Amino acid sequence: MFNKFSRRAGSGVAVTVAAVLMLTACGGNGGDAGGTPDPNEEVTLNFTWWGNEDRASRYEEAIALFEDENPNIDVNGTFMDFPAYWEKRQTEAAGGGLPDVMQFDYSYLRQYGENGVLLDLTEYEGNGLTTDGIDETLMATGRLEDQTLAVPTGYNAWSLFENPAVLEETGATGYEGGTSWEDYDAYMTSVTEASGGEVYGGTDYTGRIQNLELQMRQEGRELFTDEGELNFTQEELAEFWSSAQGLRDNVTIPARQLEEVAPKSGFGSNLTASEMTWSNFMGGYLGDTGAEDLTILAPPTSDPSVKDLYQKPSMLHAVSAGTEHPEAAVAFVEFLINSPEVGAIFGASLGVPASETALEGASLEGPDLGVKEYLDSVADRIGDPPAAPVVGYGALENTFLTLGTSIGLGAITPEEAAQQFFDEVAVTLGS
Amino acid sequence: MSTIESTPTAPPPVQPIHKRRQPPRRTAANVAWIVGIVLLTVVVLYPLVWMISASFKPSSEFGSNQGLLPENPTFDNFIKVMEGVAGIPTWRFFWNSTILGIGAVIGTVISSSMAAYAFARLNFKGRPLFFAMMIGTLLLPFHVLIIPQYMIFRNLGMVDTFAPLLVGKFLATEAFFVFLIVQFIRNLPKELDEAARIDGCGHWRIFWSITVPLIKPALITSSIFAFIWSWNDFLGPLLYLNSPENYPLPLALRVFNDQSSASDYGATVAISVLALLPVMLFFVIFQRFLVAGVATQGLKG
Amino acid sequence: MTTGSAPAPQNTRTTAEPGARPAGNRRAGGHPKRKGNSETVAGYAFLAPWLVGLFALTLGPMLFSLYLAFTDYNLFTAPEWSGLANFERMAGDTVFWGSVQITLIYVLVGTPIKLAAALGVAMLLNYKSKGSGFFRSAFYAPSLIGASVSIAIVWRAMFSAEGPVDSGLSFLGINLGGWVGVPALIMPMMILLAVWQFGAPMVIFLAGLKQVPAELYEAASVDGAKAWRKFISVTLPMLSPVIFFNLLLEMIGAFQIFASAYIIGSGSGGPAGATNFYTVYLYTRAFTNNQMGYASAMAWVLLIAVGILAFILFRTSKSWVHYGGDTK
Repeated sequence: MFNKFSRRAGSGVAVTVAAVLMLTACGGNGGDAGGTPDPNEEVTLNFTWWGNEDRASRYEEAIALFEDENPNIDVNGTFMDFPAYWEKRQTEAAGGGLPDVMQFDYSYLRQYGENGVLLDLTEYEGNGLTTDGIDETLMATGRLEDQTLAVPTGYNAWSLFENPAVLEETGATGYEGGTSWEDYDAYMTSVTEASGGEVYGGTDYTGRIQNLELQMRQEGRELFTDEGELNFTQEELAEFWSSAQGLRDNVTIPARQLEEVAPKSGFGSNLTASEMTWSNFMGGYLGDTGAEDLTILAPPTSDPSVKDLYQKPSMLHAVSAGTEHPEAAVAFVEFLINSPEVGAIFGASLGVPASETALEGASLEGPDLGVKEYLDSVADRIGDPPAAPVVGYGALENTFLTLGTSIGLGAITPEEAAQQFFDEVAVTLGS
Repeated sequence: MSTIESTPTAPPPVQPIHKRRQPPRRTAANVAWIVGIVLLTVVVLYPLVWMISASFKPSSEFGSNQGLLPENPTFDNFIKVMEGVAGIPTWRFFWNSTILGIGAVIGTVISSSMAAYAFARLNFKGRPLFFAMMIGTLLLPFHVLIIPQYMIFRNLGMVDTFAPLLVGKFLATEAFFVFLIVQFIRNLPKELDEAARIDGCGHWRIFWSITVPLIKPALITSSIFAFIWSWNDFLGPLLYLNSPENYPLPLALRVFNDQSSASDYGATVAISVLALLPVMLFFVIFQRFLVAGVATQGLKG
Repeated sequence: MTTGSAPAPQNTRTTAEPGARPAGNRRAGGHPKRKGNSETVAGYAFLAPWLVGLFALTLGPMLFSLYLAFTDYNLFTAPEWSGLANFERMAGDTVFWGSVQITLIYVLVGTPIKLAAALGVAMLLNYKSKGSGFFRSAFYAPSLIGASVSIAIVWRAMFSAEGPVDSGLSFLGINLGGWVGVPALIMPMMILLAVWQFGAPMVIFLAGLKQVPAELYEAASVDGAKAWRKFISVTLPMLSPVIFFNLLLEMIGAFQIFASAYIIGSGSGGPAGATNFYTVYLYTRAFTNNQMGYASAMAWVLLIAVGILAFILFRTSKSWVHYGGDTK
């Protein structure tokens, strides 16, 4: 009764305001797909990406090239850093005005895809959009329930970085790569001991959800069930975090020190000899450490015969469902994904190019080549990627990281952290 | 505290004896004042000095060298920052910020002082209600207003222009300034207005010829804040501007620090230091006007 | 109390004269009734820009967010009415209560310290005019830095194990080994950051001090008042409108602390929830978890809570804020 009453009383004015705002938000769904592209029609495309100034100049170059080839299409590029980029996209998704073409992140794909704000590209495949040159398992990461919603630009895989300069200082022996977890722990211990506490063997790897995923895949399990629920129990999570207590106490870089160097990582600050992360961090870590070269190795595994790694799309390109120029947008995506010239412009800075033609054009060298060689070397361990991340995965990943830090700082126990993580998941996945 | 004996404002000519003799206690007070203020300045400025010094550190030194001085000082950060972003020269970002800042100052000072005059001096129906509403607008965290405000400006076709960033300033939507000026006007003696009214002045004339000159310190303060807040605003430009050539500094600055590709901490700090210079200059110029208002001067007799 | 008695009318007339013309309309000084009418017209005329802004830009979005507080709005699909569900969830949300707790500590401890620092420095600066421009600029400089990652870098360096704060403390025999990684020390760090950026209230205090008529001090001197006495009986009452303004606005601002906490905590409220202030948590709910309904409910709870505090402040202000324009 009270509910009914308050509903009526509360809504009055606000509903009117809301209705006006919502109605206007949903306007402007122009494009009817399948029409023939008109080479004479003057078209303006809005395109957006996140990234640094280096990426911005590369995209500017690519856009100029595309405009030369398609004089009737004008591309307006715009860019931001990652968190701000998504804040702006969320506002546009709610308020209207998403750009025609967007650089997309895997962790947001399901959210935008399931809500119908991305254009289904299926009918353009082979008809304006060439996807033959892209590995099928990688291509599948851009699909949701038979709809192709995004096309991967490139890929990376989980990996282990080693800093030869830091290692040399300590005099310890390098990590072999791809051996057992115990072996990797022993390696980190040897580095920390050899340095006399100056630097550390590595970072507490239980702080990152990807290492939990890696260990689970090595046991033949995924992080999430097919229904999108957590595939591990609270006790298992507490156990995972507890397992590294010995490392945290004596071997890995103290969480306190990590907080001091943030936003840099311990590895990026030349304070650890190794760290596990995505292979596309090569460029960033070279800049952070100032090192001449970094070694990239296979992460440890409990069973070398299991296909525990997978190719993750480093980023994808997607088209807004509201675009008024779907053909032109698809043509631009095609150009960004497949053109050898674009491959040459970007090298491996958007991940090792997914498309064969772009990869040929890229003629990788130096650190980029090292990443490519690493990815080839672990081909035996690469299996099918997991289903596209659940809605809110980015937030969970962040929560996991924060809780890992809190454990490292001694602020909470692994059991308390596991409890908090499950509480958070209930909120994030339950809404 | 007890050593401070003389008047806080410049000693008035009425008491020349006081000024000439310079009693020893007064010298002691001066020395204490200088020592105290210099110490305070050192403490307050140290982080800034550290920041300026850090802008000469190569990016790889961040994290490992937390000391004041760079181990391998370099100008590269500034060279890189001045090269611009994606073909857009860096001065362009400064220019955009300057335009937005000046617009914000003009809009805020005019609209806020008018609204403040109404609230402080005029008796009209609905004043208490509107005043409460104005304070109310200060209380809601702005994050929940982002989306509806974006919808309004999008429907007005103003996205990717400076209009959404300036319209609100000309409509006194920042209650901070209105309330600030209200407080200053209410502190003015009403006799001035009444005298003018007896002389036949209308409200506009009273506002323009009496109130505005008397609240100069408040207007200067408002100008300073309006400019600086506009200069440092990140969220507004993020939401409403798309074309990089329209970006003001806070947006451009982010591009040197994208964690997902590669962050250049040296360049980030360098552009922050550069961004500080114009606002610093603005403050230094404007604070000079922050002197005793006409009221106090005029009353010295 | 020797509060700001109204200056002699003769003096005020001299200042008014440049603007006053002997000729012209004499209506304004007429009958009280007509005066009331003309004030209403003039009031709305002066208020016009503000009113347009209120109705066109501010009020709609505010009401919209009030409506959303009772819905499950997730940014992507149309909001659906959910009654009091958001408020009920809030009551049982431990993270929410954690954020309330640290925000309250921040407001209650940080605001008075910052205001005291601002007032103290403003008095110091007002004492002498020589070189005050330089010092004013120096003290204001920290408040000029925008909320960028640079401030996080600087602030971490200040409180790191080798930073000046820790070195200074170890000089005094206190050794904390760096503050940054200690969740319990994050709050003092955040408060010190706020105090360091005391430029805004300082400038407002300075502007207020410039409005204090010099005769009041002279009169007090003639009466033989010492500095402390002058401060109590002249400065404080004359400054009370500005003190009230700063107190109210700094309090509201502290409740809404966002940018610095977001940057220092890398957007995650870390470490160990120590930077998860009210609006940081609200932002996470709104834009990371897409629970705009819940976030709007949080926003309105804050509005009402701070609104009540503001109301109480306004009420008490009648007994301690003295406006020079009020007739005695």
